Amino acid sequence: MIQLDVDPELLRQTDEQRQLRDVLREFLAQTCGPEEVREQSAGPRGFDRSLWDRLAGEIGVHGLALPEEYGGAGGSFRELAVALEETGRVLCPAPLLSSVVLAAHALLASGDRRACERWLPGIATGTLTATVAGFLHSGTVVAERGPDGWLLRGEADFVPDGEGADLLLVAARAPDGPRLFACESDAGGVDRTPRRLLDPTRRQALLRFRGAPAVPVGDAGEAPGVVEGVLDAGRTGLTAEQLGGCAHALDALLEFVVQRTQFGRQIGSFQAVKHRLADLLVEVEAARSASTYAALCLADPDAGEPRVAAGAAAVVCSAAYRRAVAEYVQFHGGIGFTWEHPAHLYVRRARADEALFGTSDDHRLRLAGFLGLVGDRSQVVDRAASHPEH
Amino acid sequence: MTRANRAPTPEEFRTAARRWLSGVAPRRDSAGQEWGSGDDSVAVFENWTADEERAHTERIRAWERTRYDQGWGALGWPEEYGGRELPASYEQLYRAEEAAFDVPRRTEVFPVTQQLVAPAIRVWGTEEQRRSLLRPMLRTDELACQLFSETEAGSDLAAVRTSAVREGEGWIVRGHKVWTSGARVATWGVAVCRTDPDVPRHAGITVFLIRMDAPGVTIRPIRQMTGGSSFNEVYLDDVRVPDGDRLGPVGQGWRVTLSVLAAERLDSGALGLDNADRALALARNLPRPLTGGEQQQAADLVVRTLVQRLIGLRVTAALVAGREPGAEASVGKLYATATMRATTDLVQQLLGPRLAADTGEWGTFAWTEHLLGAPGYSIAGGSDEIQRNILAERVLRLPKEPKYPEGEAR
Repeated sequence: MIQLDVDPELLRQTDEQRQLRDVLREFLAQTCGPEEVREQSAGPRGFDRSLWDRLAGEIGVHGLALPEEYGGAGGSFRELAVALEETGRVLCPAPLLSSVVLAAHALLASGDRRACERWLPGIATGTLTATVAGFLHSGTVVAERGPDGWLLRGEADFVPDGEGADLLLVAARAPDGPRLFACESDAGGVDRTPRRLLDPTRRQALLRFRGAPAVPVGDAGEAPGVVEGVLDAGRTGLTAEQLGGCAHALDALLEFVVQRTQFGRQIGSFQAVKHRLADLLVEVEAARSASTYAALCLADPDAGEPRVAAGAAAVVCSAAYRRAVAEYVQFHGGIGFTWEHPAHLYVRRARADEALFGTSDDHRLRLAGFLGLVGDRSQVVDRAASHPEH
Repeated sequence: MTRANRAPTPEEFRTAARRWLSGVAPRRDSAGQEWGSGDDSVAVFENWTADEERAHTERIRAWERTRYDQGWGALGWPEEYGGRELPASYEQLYRAEEAAFDVPRRTEVFPVTQQLVAPAIRVWGTEEQRRSLLRPMLRTDELACQLFSETEAGSDLAAVRTSAVREGEGWIVRGHKVWTSGARVATWGVAVCRTDPDVPRHAGITVFLIRMDAPGVTIRPIRQMTGGSSFNEVYLDDVRVPDGDRLGPVGQGWRVTLSVLAAERLDSGALGLDNADRALALARNLPRPLTGGEQQQAADLVVRTLVQRLIGLRVTAALVAGREPGAEASVGKLYATATMRATTDLVQQLLGPRLAADTGEWGTFAWTEHLLGAPGYSIAGGSDEIQRNILAERVLRLPKEPKYPEGEAR
């Protein structure tokens, strides 16, 4: 059905990736523990600026998948995915997904060299934060020509990290069709309303454009393709974060069930517990396989179609994360239901993630369409033709 | 390390395998038929008469001999056994290439002989056993079946009661084995027997190679829930076994058995994928539009097949890297049996009443074979529950169940 002709070696972690993982795990253990996550996400920005700068500067996370000519390290999405898995593991509330994945890939995919030269180096060094608006929940943003250039009007909701981003990449309706625009925050004309959130570790905002000055990015007519590509990159990056969250939940559970005793036994010795953790392991391994493959397809389209791989990974990783966080709470019993325990932060993240780039059912329907799993559609046309009332 | 000089790289090997296969077998897609014609069997367990089983076995055997004789069988084995001494992963690489060609699908007795029994003989056999048995088994001139399970020893295999008692130069074996596939075509049966009832139960076990044509061996097909027979029960009524056919030391049979079972885990990666692909083809070709729910269900199955194949590739990658596969190898069978259930569920939805009553249409009622066969794989080769125990205890390192003292009621 899906042709899978991949060199198995490419699914294995390289030595460089392992080193990156080790460095990040260590760094985040020191800077981004459960208490820090709460403090950072409750702060005015929603993340810690010095942590952000160190991630960009000391470790170089931001530039991992960006070309060298724009200040990046020239790596691939596979390395970026490793980094996102680690930040997802600790729920690091830094806007990497919006800035480094979504906005950076929107600029790259637009093929607009001037726009890339202007903004990508800032994203790579972390001095500039950016996000995208109107990509999924197709907003009502309209672009019109003013006397001094383009102006944006309308609304875009659920914009990730939309309140604080320095640069907005907006999918808007221009007179000649959909087009991408870049809108800098200091140019004014945008009202930003932070939404009250299920998941405090990733902020969202409603943006109202009131004649906000903007410049077009890329050619007219190419926006739909760019938007789809960026969403697939976002889905893939998100699955890496979800995988990290799953792995954390499983690790925390394994630690807890051997330490906790009831009825005179470690609860991890009960088959009712063991079998459910075994099932969770199966799902986490499935998530790892699907997410790794999706990142590989973004890095090297010869490995497979990114839109299929990203959709499949989104389905698998959302389901795994859902199960992982449910078990995270359940097996901790009463303590898992407290505010103090971090489990609920993962519940919040897992459920909020599921809606970020389309629900699992949306992904399934898209996949069915891509792969022709729709039966014989001609029957629909026939029926509609003979029974106009349908 | 010295062999690295002459071993092909994985990429060279895959290319060479593909080239060789193109010369000896048609490609699968070119051999594949149009939707709606040809064989529509999706049987999980073949329902063959004894004659049919023999005929199919001969066809597979001919292909296995071609492979072996032309240097594409026994890849990991030393030259003295007709192999090329390649790393274990090359077998997986070869399988991945072979999957694209239309070659006879191996019935269970073939991997049992080549991948489970032969390696155990290499480890545990005497020099004489290795000399006389390994080449014929790797070439499948002589097949071997497992005489493991008994009615009172299923998941708890160490509870076997089939006894082997010394008499003169040999042994007298007496007992009853069940769920043996390939018994009718096998030359040898690998029997797990109790040789000492007075020691702790794992210590009283010895393994024997029993000729299936020996006097006292009676094979009776078991009729399974599909209506057909793929398995047998084997009665061992005072079968005389020479001591030279004992595999491994007396009382060490449990370790011999475990080494056979360990090899079984790696071999379940592709289970159920053919039929899942077939169900997806049904979803594409159904003569009506699919509902939204059906499209979602089909998409879920396609995702499962993708992930199952990826898990298989990760196992291969681990082996290529010279690493013992970890979780990715152990999750394979549980994942596969769930894929089989999901296949049944999709087909049930798509076919509706045509799955329950035979209208004579191609590719419809034939799915009852899958529906009724799939549950067998959640039981055979380590039940789903045993797989979960293995994952929990060996991979996740969770504490074992408290043990009941020997001999006490469970």
